[in-house]
Amino acid sequence: MTRILRSLRDGIGFDVLLVIIALSYLLVFAGLPLIYNVIISFQTVDVFSLGTLWHPNAGFDNYRAIFDDPLAGRVLWQTIVFTLGSVALQFTFGFALALFFHQNFTGATWIRGLFLAAWVMPGLVVGVLWNWLLSGDFGVINHLLESLGLIEDPVFWRSNVETSLYAVLIANIWYGTPFNMILLAVGLAAIPGDLYEAAELDGANAFQRFWTITLPMMRATIGAVLALGIIFTLQQFDLFAAITQGGPAGSSTVAQYWSWQLSFREFDFGRGAVISVLMIIVVLFVSLIYVRSTKAETQL
Amino acid sequence: MTYQIELDRVEKHYGRFHALKEISLAIPKGQFVALVGPSGCGKSTLLRSIAGLERITSGTLRIAGEPVDDLPPRKRDLAMVFQSYALYPHMSVRDNLTYALRLKGVSRAERARRAEEVAAVIGLETLLDRRPRELSGGQRQRVAMGRAIIRQPRAFLFDEPLSNLDAALRVRMRKEVRALHDRIGATSVYVTHDQIEAMTMADHVVVLQAGRIEQQGTPVALYDRPANRFVAGFIGSPAMNFIPGVIAGDGRAVRLALPGNPMLETTIAGTPGLQVEVGIRPEHMVLGSPDAPDALPLVVNAVETTGAASYLFTEGEPELIVTTEGTATIRAGDTIGVSVDPARVHLFEPETGASLRSASL
Amino acid sequence: MSGAVTNRVLLAVALALAAVYLFPLYWMYVTSLKTQSSIFAVPPEFLPGAPQWDNYATIWEVANILRYIGNSLVIASGVTLITALVGSGCAYVLARYRNGWIDAALFAVLMLQVLPPSLMVTPIFVGFASVGLLEYPRFATILAFSAKTMPFFVILCRAAFMTVPRELEEAALVDGNSRIGAFFMIVLPLARNGLLISALLVFMNGFGEYVYSASIIADNRLQPASIGMTNFLQPNVVNWNAIMAFAATYVTPILAAFVLLQRQIVNGLTAGALK
Ligand SMILES: Nc1ncnc2c1ncn2[C@@H]1O[C@H](COP(=O)(O)OP(=O)(O)O)[C@@H](O)[C@H]1O
Ligand SMILES: [Mg+2]
Repeated sequence: MTRILRSLRDGIGFDVLLVIIALSYLLVFAGLPLIYNVIISFQTVDVFSLGTLWHPNAGFDNYRAIFDDPLAGRVLWQTIVFTLGSVALQFTFGFALALFFHQNFTGATWIRGLFLAAWVMPGLVVGVLWNWLLSGDFGVINHLLESLGLIEDPVFWRSNVETSLYAVLIANIWYGTPFNMILLAVGLAAIPGDLYEAAELDGANAFQRFWTITLPMMRATIGAVLALGIIFTLQQFDLFAAITQGGPAGSSTVAQYWSWQLSFREFDFGRGAVISVLMIIVVLFVSLIYVRSTKAETQL
Repeated sequence: MTYQIELDRVEKHYGRFHALKEISLAIPKGQFVALVGPSGCGKSTLLRSIAGLERITSGTLRIAGEPVDDLPPRKRDLAMVFQSYALYPHMSVRDNLTYALRLKGVSRAERARRAEEVAAVIGLETLLDRRPRELSGGQRQRVAMGRAIIRQPRAFLFDEPLSNLDAALRVRMRKEVRALHDRIGATSVYVTHDQIEAMTMADHVVVLQAGRIEQQGTPVALYDRPANRFVAGFIGSPAMNFIPGVIAGDGRAVRLALPGNPMLETTIAGTPGLQVEVGIRPEHMVLGSPDAPDALPLVVNAVETTGAASYLFTEGEPELIVTTEGTATIRAGDTIGVSVDPARVHLFEPETGASLRSASL
Repeated sequence: MSGAVTNRVLLAVALALAAVYLFPLYWMYVTSLKTQSSIFAVPPEFLPGAPQWDNYATIWEVANILRYIGNSLVIASGVTLITALVGSGCAYVLARYRNGWIDAALFAVLMLQVLPPSLMVTPIFVGFASVGLLEYPRFATILAFSAKTMPFFVILCRAAFMTVPRELEEAALVDGNSRIGAFFMIVLPLARNGLLISALLVFMNGFGEYVYSASIIADNRLQPASIGMTNFLQPNVVNWNAIMAFAATYVTPILAAFVLLQRQIVNGLTAGALK
């Protein structure tokens, strides 16, 4: 006993205790739910059976129900479009801005920082804001597009099945671009300036310098930013809740929103858990690749 | 006799890595001991084990006769000066100096008095209210020393405390640290990779290599009677010359593997025909005429001079260094004659590197 | 083109980009000050007329914004408290050592950071329902959301602790501190800024939290401002001026904190995100 106390005061026990407290917390509130999730995906959990730890067994019924659901294919496709579209465009805009602000001019750092203001806002507020910006009759976006001659009639972004997913996508690109930009800016800043000077002396023009120095030196950062982009996009929920609520007719439903709707709108927690289980596997898989690759980089 | 610090067959493993091997060392009160060796040999590990910052894997460690293996650093009553100085950046110089006293519960008035006293000793009276980042490298070093002195600990541990200073300041601080040690009658363990620091400062030098003590003794003993090839090559600057040879004649001479296979007399008896490694310090090679009877004829390949001394590098394998006083008139391409006092010739077993002197003594 | 001219052109372009990008924020504030008729004007009025502060009075009286923001503060404070108390020590240890165990723990933390809350809330809700935690919905939300913010906080704080040289702590141990003493007297003060920024980010996250609250907190009086906004949104879908006033009231403190601490927040974020 005194031994343990002594180790807590002066030895490794102190470290072990600190880690154990945090890991136990995470185990209870993240680890156990992960496992419980798998269990309830095989059970019938509704408002009646809620409240007990164990629910009636459902076998593979929930899984079958999800795969047979006509919405499933659409949701899968919409999830892919939303995720890849967000990541690709956030990255493109983010990289362009990072390159632009990488030039040395007065106030570059400060103005660049302003962009992050969007990023610290609650997702729900961003969603409500874009809900208003994209509104059909009186939305300022439609007005701008019309006065630029890009559209002739107002687009009913949120209520049209053709465009509802893009309404959320546009908001998400706006929301996620600054974070991409700042991570890429850090990567750019880490490239030693004398590399560019050497290349310039060797006769490389700006375009060649970008292809032969910037891109290869940024490979690790770009990989990390793309992986983080996928991970964060798969976490996006608030924008859907605030702009389209998945509608109309499921036309803007993505997997992480569908799972929540099944649980908290239809109170079919078993089916909600099925999607949750499947999506978590995808997210963990992407993160695994990301962590492995960053680890390989830092060991070089 | 009880020693101030005593290590008995101390071992340290980091996982599978064996960092300290059978370290036995006894340090009497008042002694200044230097731990010296190439970087990565385990000097810091040994010092940190004494301080209690690392747990030893086996063996015993006593401080003032008391086993301290299970005592945390704070109960060992030792003071340590780090290479980076490790001054607390968020505290003034005064608070840095008195931090340990504060932890001990010494009263505010007493702390203030002792801070003034120590500041006078280390010459920092005017800087007591500054933060560490407002001090120069040398001043920081002094604060680190002061922080150790103020505690009046059972022993001082230094981990390369001068290596971040410029060369001139380092030479000055060498003397100051040693003078301070003598003045307060401390017991000190001083880690350095610089053999000159070890030789000039210490009463007792411990040479470490790959976690093992190669030899320990007074600086002069290590210089005159290195126990093995490693110590012989490590102590002394420029490093000792090594030439392969064979014991010849009646066993009191060696035939060197140099052009012309010259003979060299020694005072060490050996079995004729035995392969040996001959060690001669550059400063023990005396320049003479190439035609003198016992002289080794060597061709000079390059000359370096510091003004006070010149270093002649010879042609061929192995390359030898000869030290001469003043500015040499010899140029590259000249042939020189070198004679060596037989008592200054060292012989080593080629395989183990052990000195043959101990065998013959 | 001379350096000074280039500089000015780039600055002008940068300001234009920032203006375009931040236009939605401008539009939020402008709308919040318009009359009901002018929000539906065609073409839209880009400059506000006489500011309609009434809109703010409306949300104060009708939309109960004070109560909602109070609940948001409760949730944000609870989350920050739990996250900082439980997470800081762990971040410290993960910063101090490098070995297989630490790598494994770090890996676990990284993996937990990526779990989407809208997916985790299903098992958490069902679990909480069965152990009776739903009786205390705000507390339940705090517990659940802290598990989401903790990995993020640990990663950021670890970066802050890594900037404290290990030798300082060792010097303190030799000077007479216990591990706990050295942690509180040396390590914590030196990592303080990084910790505070990380805690601030967690607080902002908690202040804007939506998924867990929307799933767990059914009682209107306990709901935070994020839900308050959606409650307000549905029946009043034409009152965009009031809704924007609600949004502006909700985010202005966050934006103010961000503008004041921009540099530290950006540094803290980027230090944690890529290491
Ligand atoms: N915490 C540790 N874990 C593993 N190996 C270590 C650790 N600390 C030191 N070592 C290894 O022990 C050896 C001795 O290190 P050290 O005592 O710092 O050498 P030096 O003589 O330069 O002070 C080195 O090879 C080092 O890599
Ligand atoms: Mg060392």
